[in-house]
Amino acid sequence: MALSNASFVHRIGAGVVDLASTVGQMMTLLGRILQRSTPARFDRRELLRHLEFMAIESLPIVVVTALFSGAIVVIQAAPVVQRFGAEGLLGWGAGFGVLREIGPLLTALMISGRVGANNTADLGTMVVTEQVDGLRALAIDPLEYLVVPRFYGIIMTLSLMTVFSDLLALFGAALAGQALIGLSMHGFYNGITGGLIEFKDVAHGLIKSAAFGFIVALSSCHFGLATSGGAPGVGRSVKASVVMSAGGIFALDYFLSFVVP
Amino acid sequence: MIRLDSLGVRLVDRRRGDRRWVLRDITIAVPRGCIYGLIGPGAAGKSVLLKTLAGLLPVEEGLAEIDGVNVGEAAALELEVLRRRIGMAFQNNALFDHLTVSENIAFPLRRLFTPTDDEVREKVAERLASVTLPGYEERLPPGLSGGQKKRVAFARATITQPPLLLLDEPAAGLDPVTSQRLFDLVKREVKASGATCILVSSDLDRLLPICDSVGVLVHGSMLFDGTVEDAKRSSDERVYQFVHGLPDGPL
Repeated sequence: MALSNASFVHRIGAGVVDLASTVGQMMTLLGRILQRSTPARFDRRELLRHLEFMAIESLPIVVVTALFSGAIVVIQAAPVVQRFGAEGLLGWGAGFGVLREIGPLLTALMISGRVGANNTADLGTMVVTEQVDGLRALAIDPLEYLVVPRFYGIIMTLSLMTVFSDLLALFGAALAGQALIGLSMHGFYNGITGGLIEFKDVAHGLIKSAAFGFIVALSSCHFGLATSGGAPGVGRSVKASVVMSAGGIFALDYFLSFVVP
Repeated sequence: MIRLDSLGVRLVDRRRGDRRWVLRDITIAVPRGCIYGLIGPGAAGKSVLLKTLAGLLPVEEGLAEIDGVNVGEAAALELEVLRRRIGMAFQNNALFDHLTVSENIAFPLRRLFTPTDDEVREKVAERLASVTLPGYEERLPPGLSGGQKKRVAFARATITQPPLLLLDEPAAGLDPVTSQRLFDLVKREVKASGATCILVSSDLDRLLPICDSVGVLVHGSMLFDGTVEDAKRSSDERVYQFVHGLPDGPL
């Protein structure tokens, strides 16, 4: 029993050390990315290529998630507002939840699973097939050419997709409100713009989405570049990247909900 | 001129988690304009040696020098300048999957120089013709066979006509005719340009006739460094067995 307790403690300790080491490596990578983020060293063509690719890649899943999540909020809230005769507050309730929390959070998770995982797999494959060494052998800095454009591409994609996702989610919520309790689109819109939702609520969600984009971008680039061990190694890196991104998103969400007004 | 003096390289052994010597006490000198054949059994450290020369792996001990530049201690900028003078074809080809064949071949040309589009087109067409792949410009690497990838990798490594060529198994997976053509092409181009070439290949029948000198690497140690004729007459049983491809012996 004592041995098994020791083994348990040892495993916990090893896990903490491992996590600290990974976070340290990610911070080092961040430093190197920031160092290369001057306009002169930035490959703008690659950034545009990645932005286009990431937006197209993530669009279908973001559309589906946003429409349904907005509708689900209304499905949950509709019986309550109906019971109290407060149908006019449905727009405010849905808007408040979507703009501050659901929109940024769900979009980040979708982008993490779709774009972040793909980015890790892409970079990991380039590492194990010597493509990264190939760039270095051609006197090209892999961080400048491969990582920096992807890093900013993910942050920008996630931020823009969150705006798009917020609008779609509200549209889905309005449709559901009309179908479930007969609230008109106009009534729903008045609920959102009636003064209870302020610009700071929109900003709150956008700040969160940029922060989530930062986590997804850094995590996916780090695990992609740290890949070793051939094709199975790529799979391991993708898994680690998605887990780290999801954990990071929720932890950051918790703290930002306190810090950001 | 390439000079290696007591070179040692250590890499992390992923299975054991410690760092192990992959190259030890390597001393050779390759004069300018020489085709140097680097041969040896699998996992002997041949690819590691090429990557070390290109500055992709750290020099743990000794010296690796190219035209007076100490690769192990070169500053980033110095290393970048050096790499612009190196053409390298990797064992796994290292073709960029997201770029077409012509974009792959033109990549070093576009990134390191400022050619016009016409110049790039002309150069790429010439390189593709030289490796007998005309008409493959718009194909993507994942759609190519192993041999075709090798030829594209060779075309990319040579498009800037670099003074130093590091070729890692450039003919692996090629049919005998294409393989012979590739070796003939290497010899013709290296001799015409006066470049230095270190060539790793397991195809000794085609490699040895074009080499000026040869090195035999076994388990990270250079067992032989000299002319092809001396290698064939070597008194070292391991060198003799490998150069003659004998199934029985110490290897």
